[in-house]
Amino acid sequence: MASASKKILMDPFSDNNPITIQVLGICSALAVTVKVDTAIVMTLALTSVVTLSNLVISLLRNVIPSGIRMIVEMAVIASLVIIADQLLRAYMFDISKQLSVFVGLIITNCIVMGRAEAFALQNPPKESLLDGLGNGIGYGIILIAVAAIREFLGFGTLLNKQILPDSYMGNGLVLLAPGAFIILGLLIWLQRTISKYVEE
Amino acid sequence: MREDTRTIIFAAGTCLVVSLLLSVTAQQLKPLQEANGVFDVKRNIVKAFGIDIAGMSREDIEATYAAHVDEDKAGELPIFTWTEDDADKASKYAFPVSGKGLWSVLYGYLALDGDLETIAGISFYKHGETPGLGAEIEKPWFQNQFKGKKLYEDGKPTDFQVVKPGTELTDTSVDGISGATLTGNGVEELLQKDAAAYAEYFKSVKEGE
Repeated sequence: MASASKKILMDPFSDNNPITIQVLGICSALAVTVKVDTAIVMTLALTSVVTLSNLVISLLRNVIPSGIRMIVEMAVIASLVIIADQLLRAYMFDISKQLSVFVGLIITNCIVMGRAEAFALQNPPKESLLDGLGNGIGYGIILIAVAAIREFLGFGTLLNKQILPDSYMGNGLVLLAPGAFIILGLLIWLQRTISKYVEE
Repeated sequence: MREDTRTIIFAAGTCLVVSLLLSVTAQQLKPLQEANGVFDVKRNIVKAFGIDIAGMSREDIEATYAAHVDEDKAGELPIFTWTEDDADKASKYAFPVSGKGLWSVLYGYLALDGDLETIAGISFYKHGETPGLGAEIEKPWFQNQFKGKKLYEDGKPTDFQVVKPGTELTDTSVDGISGATLTGNGVEELLQKDAAAYAEYFKSVKEGE
């Protein structure tokens, strides 16, 4: 892969991560990270939405009238999210019950709209697709990391498999929103220390 | 073409394409989604009757439901009956229970043994309580406590209680969840409310025997 494309794809994994560097998509990073399986499905849903919306918007970028640019972006994103939600309800019913409203809330996830506005409108389809994919995966890495810590400390399990002995009393704090905030904060700190990112 | 005419045409075109796409998807997936909803209800009724469904496949559960469960009406209210193999009479009865928890409405099923007083099992299948706290109502440790407790005594609803963990238990009380007192109160209230609603029906079944 050409180094420019590689950079577009890999940058969001760490140095330009949408959650830990840009601090976007926090709502769902708190809400669906109680268990690893829900985090994985949420990652898949968001990655497909952001990849496809970037692709579609990039294809349309030269014909979208500038006056209704954002409304068209919203229509594309919302449609993709509804399709993802419908598919989950049809084929992964139990997980869709756990994710409840949060699949629908991908519509308001700043990462999706942000990538459409900041990248797909100015760049050709192939690069936009890679950018969407990269950001989806970058989001997913953090989501799954937070979920793994919360599920391990909160239930003593990983992917619903018992890891710690049955006598382990789950830690209720990490299962609640404050626990997620603390873990996410620590991850942001760790990430920024590693990539030497400084807020300007 | 003028710029605003183009804008309107583009907007109309977008709406058309998007709505076509969405209605086709929704229409195609609807049967699957409805089947999921129906199955979810069946699964929870079977679970309420005290069957361990953890290792059962979807087909097993459907088969068990078809073989043992019948739907009936208690006046206006729905009731489900369980008939053992080779038995000609229902031996267990289940009815839907619902009520307010802390954040959400809790939905479940409660089954009674043949004496129409003792709880055979309970299941909660839909709620929006806090994971790890109120959401513990869907866990086996919480639901298993209800088995063998008395929901009715001499045809009258008992004063069923969800108590603070550590309190001495009677045959009409179960342990609540630490940190989720309000969800527990909700469970207590919905059980009392629905037990009262079905009291007449169970009385008539008893008298009919």
